[in-house]
Parts: sequence; C-alpha cells; structure tokens
Amino acid sequence: MNKVVTLDGLDIYQKNFQQILIRGDGRENFNKIIKENLSVSPPSKNLEVTNTDKYLFAKSSFDQWNLLYLEKQEYNNILINISKLNKVDEILATDYSYGQVYFEVIGKNKDQFLNKLTQFDLRPKKFPLNSMAQTLIARIECSIFNLKDKYIITCNRSFESYFIERLKDIASL
Amino acid sequence: MILINCPYCGEREQSEFTNGGEAHVVRPKDPDSLSDKEWGQYVFFRSNPKGIFYERWVHTHGCKKWFNAVRDTSTDTILKIYKLSDRRPEISEFQTTLKSPSGEPIVGSGNFAVKK
Amino acid sequence: MSSIENSNCNYITNKKIKIFFDGKSYDAFEGDTIASALIRNKIKLIGRSFKYHRPRGIYTCGIEEPNALVQILNEHNEPNTRATIKRVYDGINISSQNRWPSLAFDVGSINNLLSPIFSAGFYYKTFMGPRGFWKKIYEPLIRRTAGLGKPPNNFRSKSIHQNHNVDILIVGGGLSGLIAARKLIDTNYDVLLVEQDSYLGGILKNSNKVDSIDGKKTTDWINETEKLILKSNNIKILKNTLVTSYNFTNHLIALEDKFVGKKIDLDKSELILHKIRTTNTILANGHIERFISFRNNDLPGVMLASSFEKYIHRYGVVPEKNPVIFTNNSSTFSLVKSLIQQRCKPLAYIDARKKEDIEDELKDYLKNHDIQFFPEAEVEGCQGNKEVEKVRIRTNNSIISINSSMLCISGGLNPDIHLFTQSKGLVKWDEKIITFKPNTAFQNTITLGSVSGNYNFHKIFEEVEEKLSFLNINKYVAKIEINVEDDYSITELWETKNDKKSNWSKSFIDLHNDVTTKDLTQAIDEGYDRIEHLKRYTTNSMGTDQGKISSINSLGIVSKLLNKKISEIGTTTYRPPYAPLSFAAIAGRSTYEFYDPERKTPIHNWHVKNHAVFEDVGQWKRPWYYKKHEDETMHQAVQRESKQTRKTAGILDGSTLGKIEIKGKDALEFMNLMYTNAFTKMRPMTSRYALMLGEDGMIMDDGIICKISDKHFIATTTSSGAPKVLAHMEEFLQTEWPHLQVYLNSITEQFTTFNISGPKTREIISQIFTEIDFSNEKFPFMTFKSFNYKNTQVRIMRASFTGELGYEIYISPEHALELWETIFKHGKEFNLVPYGTETMHLLRAEKGYVVIGQETDGTVTPVDINFNWMIGKNKKDFIGKRSLKRSDTAREDRKQLVGVVPLDKSQLIDEGQHIVECENLPKQIKTPIEYLGHISSSYYSPNLNHCISMAMIKGGNKLIGKTLFVSTPSGIKNIPVEIVKPIFIDPENKRLIS
Repeated sequence: MNKVVTLDGLDIYQKNFQQILIRGDGRENFNKIIKENLSVSPPSKNLEVTNTDKYLFAKSSFDQWNLLYLEKQEYNNILINISKLNKVDEILATDYSYGQVYFEVIGKNKDQFLNKLTQFDLRPKKFPLNSMAQTLIARIECSIFNLKDKYIITCNRSFESYFIERLKDIASL
Repeated sequence: MILINCPYCGEREQSEFTNGGEAHVVRPKDPDSLSDKEWGQYVFFRSNPKGIFYERWVHTHGCKKWFNAVRDTSTDTILKIYKLSDRRPEISEFQTTLKSPSGEPIVGSGNFAVKK
Repeated sequence: MSSIENSNCNYITNKKIKIFFDGKSYDAFEGDTIASALIRNKIKLIGRSFKYHRPRGIYTCGIEEPNALVQILNEHNEPNTRATIKRVYDGINISSQNRWPSLAFDVGSINNLLSPIFSAGFYYKTFMGPRGFWKKIYEPLIRRTAGLGKPPNNFRSKSIHQNHNVDILIVGGGLSGLIAARKLIDTNYDVLLVEQDSYLGGILKNSNKVDSIDGKKTTDWINETEKLILKSNNIKILKNTLVTSYNFTNHLIALEDKFVGKKIDLDKSELILHKIRTTNTILANGHIERFISFRNNDLPGVMLASSFEKYIHRYGVVPEKNPVIFTNNSSTFSLVKSLIQQRCKPLAYIDARKKEDIEDELKDYLKNHDIQFFPEAEVEGCQGNKEVEKVRIRTNNSIISINSSMLCISGGLNPDIHLFTQSKGLVKWDEKIITFKPNTAFQNTITLGSVSGNYNFHKIFEEVEEKLSFLNINKYVAKIEINVEDDYSITELWETKNDKKSNWSKSFIDLHNDVTTKDLTQAIDEGYDRIEHLKRYTTNSMGTDQGKISSINSLGIVSKLLNKKISEIGTTTYRPPYAPLSFAAIAGRSTYEFYDPERKTPIHNWHVKNHAVFEDVGQWKRPWYYKKHEDETMHQAVQRESKQTRKTAGILDGSTLGKIEIKGKDALEFMNLMYTNAFTKMRPMTSRYALMLGEDGMIMDDGIICKISDKHFIATTTSSGAPKVLAHMEEFLQTEWPHLQVYLNSITEQFTTFNISGPKTREIISQIFTEIDFSNEKFPFMTFKSFNYKNTQVRIMRASFTGELGYEIYISPEHALELWETIFKHGKEFNLVPYGTETMHLLRAEKGYVVIGQETDGTVTPVDINFNWMIGKNKKDFIGKRSLKRSDTAREDRKQLVGVVPLDKSQLIDEGQHIVECENLPKQIKTPIEYLGHISSSYYSPNLNHCISMAMIKGGNKLIGKTLFVSTPSGIKNIPVEIVKPIFIDPENKRLIS
C-alpha cells in the first residue's frame, strides 16, 4: 500500500490487487461454472458490483465480468482457476492481475477531486453505491468501482506513472 | 460536445465514443458474386444527409460496445438510441419532433434554392 | 497627488495600496479595479485606439469595455486586459497600450488625419501589391503601429479544469438569479450559481434602481440570501466566474479567476475552467447598456450612464461631480438620484424622448433639484484636447454649448442575448424596448429578468414563479420598492445629426476597432448590404469586445440606410466565447509533460538506467537506441547494436506489441475471416505471420497468430495498431457476425514481451529455462510453448523480427524485470546487447521484412509487397478479399516493393526521396518529371557495409536488375541505383531456421 495523495478530505492509496477478466454469456450454465470454479457468484445486473472484504465481482457489460481479489491470493491458484475456466469453450478468462494498477480513493472530497480529471457524473443518483463504470479519467481508460465510502480505480499498468503524476499534480494545484 | 446515452453504460460525453458512419449497411453475404461497382458501392459509398441520419456509434473508451443512433445532423440532436439487435425505427417517428435553430428547411439542403 | 477617498462603499476596503501605471505610482484601495483606481486618481486617458491612435478613456465598468485595455507588466506581460475588470493589488505594474513614444504624445495618431485611407475595407484594398511588399513592408508596419498590446512572455500556465454535473445552472447572481436560487434552496435539485463578480447582487449592488426588498435594504437582502444559499445542501456558488460558452446538450463553459485582486502564485492554478453539464439552464445574466453615436463619442470623459452609476455604488468613486447626462430612455433616472444622494449634481440632462413621453416624476425631480433639462434634444458632439471639455447640445434646432469634462450616455438596454443565441435559441425584435430579446429556446433554457427583456422590477417575482413552475420549487415572494419608473420607455436613436468640424471629428460605431458610422455608409455604397459581409468588410464588432455596447446600434444604422426593418436585417452570429478566453485555460493541464498520456513498459526504469534514448510510438515510450557512452552518436549506437545482434545476440523490449486473446466455439471461423491467412490446417501450438486488411483490400496491420486450439488463439499486433485492431475485430464480431460465438480480451498489458535474437540466443536461454528443450527438432521455427517458471506462467515462441534465430518470451509484468536481468546475467559471456527500435528497423530492412506504416501507407495491398503467399486463396471470404480483385487493385503497374542499392556503395540514400529515370534534374524544372516511386526505408547496413533501401515503385517487379536514379535533398545530381529484390541478407533463411 502506497500513499499517493493526501489532502483535506481526500486520500488516495495505490493497492496491489489481483484480477480475473471473464467473458461469457451470463446464462445459467455460465453462472454455474463460475460458481463451481471460483466459489463466488457473478452479479447478474449490468454495472452491478457485489463485494466482501476479500473480493469484488462486477459486471462491466452484458458479457464481461471483473473479479478483483482485495485480499492477496496465491498467484498460482489464480492461474489454475483461469485455466479451469478456459477449458469451457464458451468462456474466456484472462489473468489481469499484474497488467493493471489499482487505486483506492477515500474521503468526502473525492468527487470534486476526481471531477478535475473526468467529466463522469459521480453523483449518487447517476453512479449509485455498488456499481461500476468504465470511463476516461485523466484522458485514459479506467474502471471505477463505487464501494461503501470509497472508490477503487484501475487502469492499465503502462499508465501507472503518468496517472500518479496527474493525481499528484492536480492535488498540488 | 454532445451527450450520448450508451445503452449499456448510460449518458457519457461524446469524447468517449467513436462514430462508425452510416448504420444498416450490411456486408454482402457473397462478395464474389458482386460486380466491382456493386462492391465499391458497399466499401466506399455512404450517405450524408442533412437531417435525420441513422448511424453507428461505439463506446470506445467505455464498454466498447456498438449501438445505433438516429441523429439530426443539422442540429446534432440525438433523436433515438437503440441496440444493434433492436428494430430500425421508422423515419416518421422523428419528423415531427425535429427542431431547427436557424429557420432553414429541416430536411434537405441548406441551400434554399434546392427543394427536396 | 490628491488623496483618494471611498464614499461609503461596502465592496471596497479602506486599505490603501500602491499601483503603477506607465511607471508612475498611484494610491488605490484594495478591491479597486484598474479603472476605478485610475478614476479615483482622476486619470482619464488610458490608451490609444487600434487604428487611428486616438486618445481613449474608460467607457464602461465591466466586461463590455471597448477602450480601456492595458498590459499587466508583472503577470507574464499579459496584454489586452480589461481595466474595468482586472482587480488591482499592491505593486501591480500596468502599462497603456498601442502608443509610441508615450501615451500623451503618440506619433501614430497621424493615422487619424490620414483616416480617408483607413476607411472600410482598408486592409483588402491597400495591401494588394506589389509582390513581396506584404511580408517585408506592410506586415511589419501594421504590426508596429496598429493593434493592441504586446504578446505575453513565455510562461507555463497551471490552469486546471473542473467538471460539474448538475440539475440546474443559474448564470448570474443578480436579482432574478438570486430569487431563482432562493426558490431552489433545499429542493432535490443540484444547483450551481455562477457569478462573474466577487459579490452577488448584480443590479442591486451596481445601482440604486432598487430601494428595498422585503422591507430590507438591498445589501441586507443580498447577504441574507447568500447565507441561506450557503446553508443549503444543494446549491453551490461560484464567484469571479464568467460563463463564456453555451454548447450543445446544455454544456456550458465558465472561467474562474482564482487570483482576483491578488498577485499570481506561479505554483498554483490561476484559472479554473469549469465545464458544466446541466439539465436545465437558467440564464439570468442581465443586460448591457448601449451607446449612441455622435461626433467624437470616443473622447475620454464619455462614459455609459449605468457604468457611471456602477462606479458610485460598486466602487465608491464618483467619476465626476457634475457630468452631463444624455439619454433616450427612462433608465438614467436612477443616475440622477445617485448623484444627488452623493451631493453632486448633473450639469444638464438631455433626453431625446418627446416631452410628453418623459415621465412626470422625472421632470419634477429635475425641476426640484434645479437641473438644466433639455427634452427632445440630443448631443451633436463633444470637443476637447485628449478629453471632453465641451458638450454641444442640439435643442429646438439651435446649438447650446456646455463646458463639462464628462458626458454620461445611454442609448438603451440590450438583453445580454449572447449566451442564449450560442445555445441556438432564436431571438425576436421587440418594438417596445427597441432591441432583440430571447424568443424560442432550443435547449432547456430559461431566461429570467432583464435578459428576457423584462425591465420591470415589480414583475420579477411573477416571472420567476411562472417560468420555473415546471420545477418543484419553494414559495417565495417579497415586495420590491424601486427608484426608477415601473415601465421602461425609450425612443429610437442610433446616431445624432452632427456638424462636421474637421477631419479629426468622427462618429464611432465600434470603438474597439475604430469603425465609424461613415464606414458603414461607405460599405453599403460599395455593395456590402448583408450584415455578415458588412461586419467583415468594416471589421465592425470584430474586436475583443465583440461590439457588446454597439452591435445593435450598427443594425439600427444599417436598417435606416437600407430602409429596412431591423428584424429583417437580423443579427450576426453570436459565437463562443462570450469574452476572451485564454488558450492556457482551455488547454488546462494537457500541456508539456501531460500533453499526451505516456505509456511505459515494466522494463522502463532499466532502459533509463542503461542510457536509452526514447522514441514515441503511439503513446508508448520505447528505447530508440542505447548510448554506450556519452559521446556515442545514434548512428554509432545503431551500427554497434545491429552488428552485435547478428554476431551473437541482441534483445528488444517488445512489451508494447499489441496482444489479443481470442476464444470461443467459432474462433477459427472468425480468424479466417479477419486475416488473409488460412488457419484451418494450422497445427495447434504453432504460430504464423498474418496480415489484416481493411475491407478496401489495403494492409491494415500485421502480426503473429498463435493457435492454441481451433477455439483459442492469441494474436499480436503492431505497437501503435493494437487498439485499432482490437476495435476492428470487435466491430465485425458485434455488427456483422453476432452469430459467431467468440470473445476477445486485450492482453497487451498482461504480458511483458522480450524479443531475443542472434546466433547465440539458444545458448543463452537454454541456461535459464533449463527444463525446456530448445533444439531445432523439439522447438522448430514458428512454434510456441507455455510452461511454469518460478510460480508464474511463461510463453516462449520461436519467431524472428531480424532474420536471425530468435525467440519471443512472454511473462507476467510482475516477474518481467527479474527475468530480463537474468537474461542479461546469462547473456554476458556472449556480449548480449539491448537494442532499440532503430536497430530493429535496420535489421528488418536487411532481411527485407516490411514495417507496416513504413513501407505501407494505407494504399498498399499484400500483392504490392509480394505477399501473395499470405493470401488464403481457397478461403471463400475474408475481410478485403473481394477488393483485391477490383480492377484498380489488380492493376499490374501499381507501386510494388523493391530493394534499392546504390551503384557507388559509398553513397547514402535518404528516406522519402523520389525514384526517377533521369540521371540529372534540369536546372529549372519546366515540365513535370516522371516520378516512379519513393524510398520507403533506407539504412546503412553494418553487416553489408553499404546503404540498403526499400522502395515502392510503379511496376517494380518488372524493374528488378534495372538501373534507376534516386533524388537527393540538395542539388540536381541523382544517385544511380540498382533495383534488386527486397532482401539483402540470408535469402535462403539459413540463419532463421537453424
């Protein structure tokens, strides 16, 4: 855990999560296979996020799910689970663990701060709790998950230093 | 910068999307049976009307899904957004709802001498 | 210097500060604008005009100012700052503009006497020739003598952007804006109230037109309202923020100045550009007073009446104790009252309205206070040396002259329709208030108060209630007591009849750009009778003030000249921004280091440590070449890297290459449709070089396809083509073939990729991945293996970018750097060299491998580059297949890929040069020289010791063996070259498959 920004009413930490990106049709058989292999159920509603302290499972579009492990897993187990899922022709599971970077945004001023970098409408009436969105933040593609009292933002690893610099820059102005 | 209502993600700014040109242009099933002219028509020619236009969009920086939209090209008003699997809406659905900002003909050329 | 004073104004503190104007020091109060401070110091002459260099003073008290533009020397030398807006601070250093050598004595003012040659269309008529004169004589001359301030110094702005998503935006915190806000307090709407000034109140603080609201003094009512708003949970206020643009879908842009009345801190953002997306917009942005044209209506000392009143109430300074007032409407009554309140008295009140139309209350008031009153009269002109000294009044067909140093004028009030028309709303001419007002909104726009043409304060509550009734709002009504007439009355008056006194006398229609009413007449005489043409021909209302106080007047004058109604003339188009907006604010932080997002590979820091020089490939930073020592040139580095690679081994960070995972029941069918190659017979765990075409048959991208099974593929793409290829695949999957069951995931970032090649590579990596048999038999060319390595997964593919024995290694980014360093540890004994993109290009060129985007440019088919073998001819269909048979694509004389070698091996060929048939170019080219093609890439090969090039030449295949010529960047002598097959090293692929 790495502190990126601290301001009045705002803290941003960089986190090391692991992630599996799953594509499929979301039908009964799909849910069954996911449940069997990962012991968690995929959310069924578009943009919905279910989570516990250990993981976060989001449906990012009608045929795409993100499973984030908020608690570190044995990496080899993740790879094994992925190859199990990929035995099924109708499912594509990809390891997204280390190709992505993760940030946790906390504090009452988080919306105002993020709106310096994105036009995305963060108001609860448009972006409710336990939902997710894929949008542009600081002109790069990000996924943002709205959890209780915090956002988790993830983007491609190659943007890591650019994204951190942008966050720090805006915080300093 | 207009606002586009992605059928899967909700309203987002235009900068997240890419326009995919005219909608409902179907790729020929058997390209080899087409003459050069017919094939060229499919590859290179698209209509560009003033007024009601059926077009494709993709949410490039979001869910990356394609969808269709009906847009009034003279005012940039998006009249309807529908999924690829949805039926193509009739043009008559929109003709009465068009608004013209500057009083020129709603459909047809901006040149008053050209009557549609 | 007389001491300055503040006449009981709450908006100005009594703290004295020092300001500098043209090098001289003056006292000012904290809270003053430059204009109010100079007025306090009795300074009237502020600058020289744009074209004629006439003396100019302060005309207004706000954003509409056409004259008082100054340069702020200590803020990056910021030019064209409106003195009427810019707040002063201690030590601010201001200079006047467009004068030389000094403000009081200005050489350029000779232009005024030469004015006949500077009339309408002057630029179009005068600078037509002779040739060369524009650049050498006219332009430098104009730049020195005409124009505005000097450009600012280089500086790095730190302006930031702030996005807002709200339900209701209220533009303007004046009377109607505040009433609307009060009605929205603690409702379910998210509301943003934007005010350009540092204080709310608008007309309530700028005049004494309103006496009380709800029985309270206006200042108390404003404070009470502001407190209520701040206490609410749904309304935010932005002050010092000017809305400049009203775009489609209720998107508005507003600019906030964070350093009002403060010295700029270079480490902080001085401006915030607010981008506001709203559901409904309430425009309550008020009105702007217009002027009247008369002889010398530009002299310092002429000021708009409401601005004069604003200086009294907003800034606590009376510009002149005894001014003359000239009006054509009822709104100036409050100025008289304001002056009397201050124990001052107008010298004369000139009202152009008919006697019987003038309100009795006003007539009585003037009589009771013994003020000279001229009804049905007008100002013929004014005179003076650098400021008004004498005002000449035409009354009952005679002229009366009054000595006065100030003349307050009012030509009526215009609703400030700029934003409304930007939103594409339609305006309509109103005969009663003689101006355009909003008629039909195009977006969800509501206009309230004077911007809607409602000048009656008593009707304001009623208007707000009615127009906002579609919202769920609070009940709030209060009683308003006012100091002016209920009903606004006005008579039409655009220009007064004037007696021409001298060439110096002018009646202006646009003060900013020095356009006179005579210019309008002349332009119409010359045929420019359409308002948009007339505007551009005369430059009327094209200044930085956009003719805010005068554009309606010009319509009035033109309508009279053309004998048409003003509604028939129409307005010119109002375009954003409403007021000048600096590029720095628009750019925000997307400049310099943040100009474009940067992507770095997991090995980036190693490259930096090892002295890589980087090249931008798309957004990626890729090592271009590595400097072995400080003095090594790029050429030396590239020669060294490529030589070493062919000798032993070299390694390239290929992480930027696009990677896409493709899976599904129909993956094979899909791949066969997307790429030219046939994948059906391909064995699992093999790979293949593949081409992707556009539907037009032109090469779009290339890459290596790994087939895990018929249902599972991994494709690589070029570095910059990755997003495009994925999008292209997704497009066809979603739109044309939704029946195919295939999923795609980008895995570009999930795998770090190294390309290691050279004769010693097998020895190096065998030491690392000891469990893998790298022998030619067990691991042949174009196969791949996946296996576990140190608790992670590694995939190795035998492939080559260079023509040497080579492997591509894919590993999770988490373990990438460690593996990279391990490879170097084991490669040390073989002098393994890291190489960059330039060496990669060189090595590829030696082998005759094309680079998509270098040899190809979107007009090249696979056949053109001899890739016939890559086309799956037996496939029924693939994207672009049909186009390859189009008559134009199948032509034999298309440009084709060839190799080019200079006959004289010491000569160098430049990329992009033309290939021609002639040995020398003629000294003067009179007829076009036939161009056969161009050099697409060219390198000096260290392995062959001469220059090698590839070229695209018309009918190139048939020219192999011929001698042709390549042009050079200089001189007429061409380089004789031999056209060869585009492969220079190892045509038998011995190295590749060894």
